[in-house]
Amino acid sequence: MTTKLKRLALTLATISASGLFLPGAFASEPVKGGTLIYLEQQAHTNLYPPAGGFYPNGGILNQITDKLTYQNPKTLEIEPWIAESWTVNADATEYTFKIRPGVTFSDGTPLDAAAVAKNYDVFGLGNKALKQPVSEVINNYERSEVVDPQTVKFFFKKPSPGFLQGTSVIGSGLVAASTLALPFEQLGDATKIIGSGPFVVDSETIGKELNLKAREEYAWGPAKLEHQGRAYLDGIKYIITGEDSVRIGALLAGQADFIRQVQAYDEKQVEAQDYQIYAPSTRGVNNSVVFRPDNPLVADVRVRKALLHATDAKEIVTTLFSANYPQATSIIASTALGYRDISAKLAFDPEKAKALLEEAGWTVGANGLRQKDGKELVLTAYESLPQPQNKETLQLVAQQWGKLGVKLTVLAGDSGSRVVDDLDPLKTPVSPAMVGRADPDVIKSQYYPKNRDVLRQKGGQSDKVQSFADDKLNGLLEALTAEPDREKRFAIAGEVQDYVIDQAYAIPIFEEPQAFAGAPYVQGIAFESVGRPSFYSTWLAEH
Amino acid sequence: MTTFDTIQDDAIASRHGQRAGGRFSLPHFVRRLPVGLALSWLVLAIAFLWAVAPWLFTSYNPLEGVGGEQLRRPDASHLLGTDALGRDLYARIVYGAVHSLTGAFVAVALGLVVGTTIGVIAGSVRRRVDDAIMRLVDVLLSIPPLMLSLSIIILLGFGTVNAAVAVGVTSVARFARLSRSEVVRVRRSDYVEAAFGSGGTFAAVLWRHVLPNSLTSVLAIAALQFGSAVLQISTLGFLGYGAPPPTPEWGLLIAEGRNYISTAWWLTTAPGVIVVLVVLAANRVSQSFGKVAA
Amino acid sequence: MSGYLLNRLGQALFVLWAAFTISFVLLQAMPGDAILIKFQNPELGLNPQQIADIRASYAADSAIWVQYIQTIGRFLTGNFGYSVQVGVPVSTMLAAHLPATLKLASLGFLLAAVFAVVIAFVSSLTPFAWLRGAIQSVPSLFISIPTFWLGIMLIQIFSFRLKLVPVINPGPWQELILPVFTLAVPISAPLAQVLVRNIDDVLTRPFVAVARAKGATRQWVLWRHVAKNALLPTLTIAGVLFGELIAGAVVTETVFGLNGIGGLTGRAVGSQDAAVLQAIVVFSALAFVTINLIVDLLFPVLDPRLRTKAGATA
Repeated sequence: MTTKLKRLALTLATISASGLFLPGAFASEPVKGGTLIYLEQQAHTNLYPPAGGFYPNGGILNQITDKLTYQNPKTLEIEPWIAESWTVNADATEYTFKIRPGVTFSDGTPLDAAAVAKNYDVFGLGNKALKQPVSEVINNYERSEVVDPQTVKFFFKKPSPGFLQGTSVIGSGLVAASTLALPFEQLGDATKIIGSGPFVVDSETIGKELNLKAREEYAWGPAKLEHQGRAYLDGIKYIITGEDSVRIGALLAGQADFIRQVQAYDEKQVEAQDYQIYAPSTRGVNNSVVFRPDNPLVADVRVRKALLHATDAKEIVTTLFSANYPQATSIIASTALGYRDISAKLAFDPEKAKALLEEAGWTVGANGLRQKDGKELVLTAYESLPQPQNKETLQLVAQQWGKLGVKLTVLAGDSGSRVVDDLDPLKTPVSPAMVGRADPDVIKSQYYPKNRDVLRQKGGQSDKVQSFADDKLNGLLEALTAEPDREKRFAIAGEVQDYVIDQAYAIPIFEEPQAFAGAPYVQGIAFESVGRPSFYSTWLAEH
Repeated sequence: MTTFDTIQDDAIASRHGQRAGGRFSLPHFVRRLPVGLALSWLVLAIAFLWAVAPWLFTSYNPLEGVGGEQLRRPDASHLLGTDALGRDLYARIVYGAVHSLTGAFVAVALGLVVGTTIGVIAGSVRRRVDDAIMRLVDVLLSIPPLMLSLSIIILLGFGTVNAAVAVGVTSVARFARLSRSEVVRVRRSDYVEAAFGSGGTFAAVLWRHVLPNSLTSVLAIAALQFGSAVLQISTLGFLGYGAPPPTPEWGLLIAEGRNYISTAWWLTTAPGVIVVLVVLAANRVSQSFGKVAA
Repeated sequence: MSGYLLNRLGQALFVLWAAFTISFVLLQAMPGDAILIKFQNPELGLNPQQIADIRASYAADSAIWVQYIQTIGRFLTGNFGYSVQVGVPVSTMLAAHLPATLKLASLGFLLAAVFAVVIAFVSSLTPFAWLRGAIQSVPSLFISIPTFWLGIMLIQIFSFRLKLVPVINPGPWQELILPVFTLAVPISAPLAQVLVRNIDDVLTRPFVAVARAKGATRQWVLWRHVAKNALLPTLTIAGVLFGELIAGAVVTETVFGLNGIGGLTGRAVGSQDAAVLQAIVVFSALAFVTINLIVDLLFPVLDPRLRTKAGATA
């Protein structure tokens, strides 16, 4: 089958290269069968569902697990999937889900209320003995109750309005009891992950290849989808291909059907050959540069503000990126829920930046660097490997700050030093950051000390922090995740956005998409709301 | 990445050994200079000038890009095109010479000094101590060199000099082996025996007779190792352990440029060709050392 | 002879132990460790307490000498431990990755030998001096090319432009064509230089002139005498080339996405997967001392001149 496919792909590539190829020719009935060759940049690390935030993990989990609910990627409304219906009490502390009958995991065990309860008890509370952590999308979880075989009820200590959306995300895939019984470190083995999804893991070569096959009896896709029943594809072959040039080259040479992580500079070439670029937004916190105010150099809000205004996000976007990477207008994406346009506060204004630095007492010294009390304004940041062209982005930021006499040292660094130094605000006063999730809770994920703690507050991720803590910000974040009323919640989300920028904790740069590219005959590619591909409805046209 | 091995060392050593005692004479050397060798010297001279006075060769800033000028094809204004930040690639290569050449120089110097010291000591002392020292050298050889380099970089932190140290350490064993065998060979030769016979102290004989006669071939290897070090440093860049940006180190230019190969082929090809030329030239010159010393 | 053998064996064991200890110390001294690298990842959303619990469960913070004794004890009983990053026993990982590297390295070495022989003979047999010069500089060119760059260029040209060999989803032998070539190029250079020098040596020997005078062709002389003489130097450098093969494999496997020990080493260094690295060091040191031991023992057998002064090689 695959060799045939390959030959077909080769023929196609030849045709398309010779200019005879018409991409519109495929608007017909979906074709069943075939294996999709998918090139992934990095190997998956762990398939415990809440670890699905990491793209390679999510890209697999999204095919092999189902979720309680389905977030329509166009409207962002929550629709039925494994849950046929649900009710929420007024203060969002009790959720009741009615489970669709007849759903089974691929090992034959039923996906019923008891199974759902078991999953959420682990996701909401973690399992210390098995080292399974709490999911970052579930807040204030208390316990579950199996009302009857098809009804499950969840109780929360405090209002948890983000929970309903939380049941739809990649980190909330439902897995069988046998999977949950495994210690966390064994969940790196894909063959041990039993889900109820349209595909099941067939075989795996760790670090190189993963084969999924379609599950014949699958009949419980999201209710409102047009496509029902089993997946069109017979299987998906994931091949880990770390080299950017090999992924893009293999796609264009007809050796692969679909690839993840296409860099902006390769987009033109892909489109020139009638291949398709997919750049779904991750709808979360924008690709940004954040400060660690515990470091005395950036403790002064005027310094941070100066650097915010010294950063020309437009130049970064036009130099390094494409139209798929819109310039940021807030700390979260314009397509995110609860977004507020605060672009006026983000203007590039070198004069204002200069004035702010002078006002804060930083004057240009003999060597061109700004100085104060004998200290130079020299900052350090580690590049983030998963973010697109992050090394280049940071170099451009460094170039822009350099014009004001501020030096930003960009480090590549090995993972050990990076992890250790990143916890210490004195070593890394600046850091790139982003996270995707289509719910305002995502802002808390990013900034709250008990979550990702990007600002490094006292009592958060790092014991190196001396004193910095922002109780006002934390209060707002707590309110954000606990406010049951949708309108009020969005208002708080807007307030947080204003506050973060007023304090200049972050410099938003662009709205980060996940960029994929596919051959012209690959049809029906869909993405969940934060950009992980779903191949359930994908089919390969004649080619 | 390739390192040159003992057989080549032996080749040069034995060539030298067969006709030991020859002296280097410049006029003689220039008259008989073959074209290939002349070109090699020219390449090295240009690379050296780039390192010393890069501003004479380009007016572009190698570190600061120009918005809107990114990923330009090679043309009259940008001889080798521009990179993703709009920086002139030719300027980056010219300004990168100092990083790459210093890196390679430090790497070779480290291997040369430490390795030769160990080797000379081992070759000059009693059998048991010699054995012990050489087993330690074996230990160095038995750890995969690349892994050793990476570990050292992680320990020292990223940077041109640190990368050079990491590469240099892996060549210590090689210099030690070579210089030891040279010392052993020279010690056995008649005139050294004679020097001992006429009452010279051990240290004096070592200094006056053994060392000068052992070192020529060691220096020839050093030239060879120079090319190898450039390559090894570039491999570190490829594996993600290169100098921090925006350092325009050659290996890093090749390594980073490779990601653009389907859109901007020149970004990896141009520095790649430069590195091949310089390494080739260094090798050629090293070979001629082996012969000229004769 | 048996005393010599015992002595050499003892030295080999010392080298093994020292390589193990040095790598242990290096790994301990690195900033951070495998657990931190894996679990401090913000995508996993662990809080500091959870990370502390995980560290405790791995006994990651016990005294260094305790860990050293335990690790040595485990290795002596053949237990290489678990990979923190992948969560699989190290022995399983090595077993899964070793075949690919063995295939790649042995074929790479074989092809390198073929290259070397071709270069050496063609350059010796060609009647034109300029051609000889050109061919003899091929090895210099071969060791001047960065391996990873060569691999990437080969993929671009042969796989993507000419479409001769797929790199994605290739057949079991197809996938080896370009990597083996990439690996063979740098390895062939020193071999070729050894051969060229041997041929030059042989051709200047008096017996060649005698043989030629008796009517033997140049080719015949070359085959007869060079083949015999080439074995020894090839053996000598086998030990050194072994390190090269491993380093080359790291790069080649990374470029081509092959699932071998080289790629594994690269990834394990990145994630400081100490158990995996420790096992790789021990295995490569083992291979190194074994090859050297065999070479040392074979040398006197193959070369009668050396029988009297065995151990003269360093």
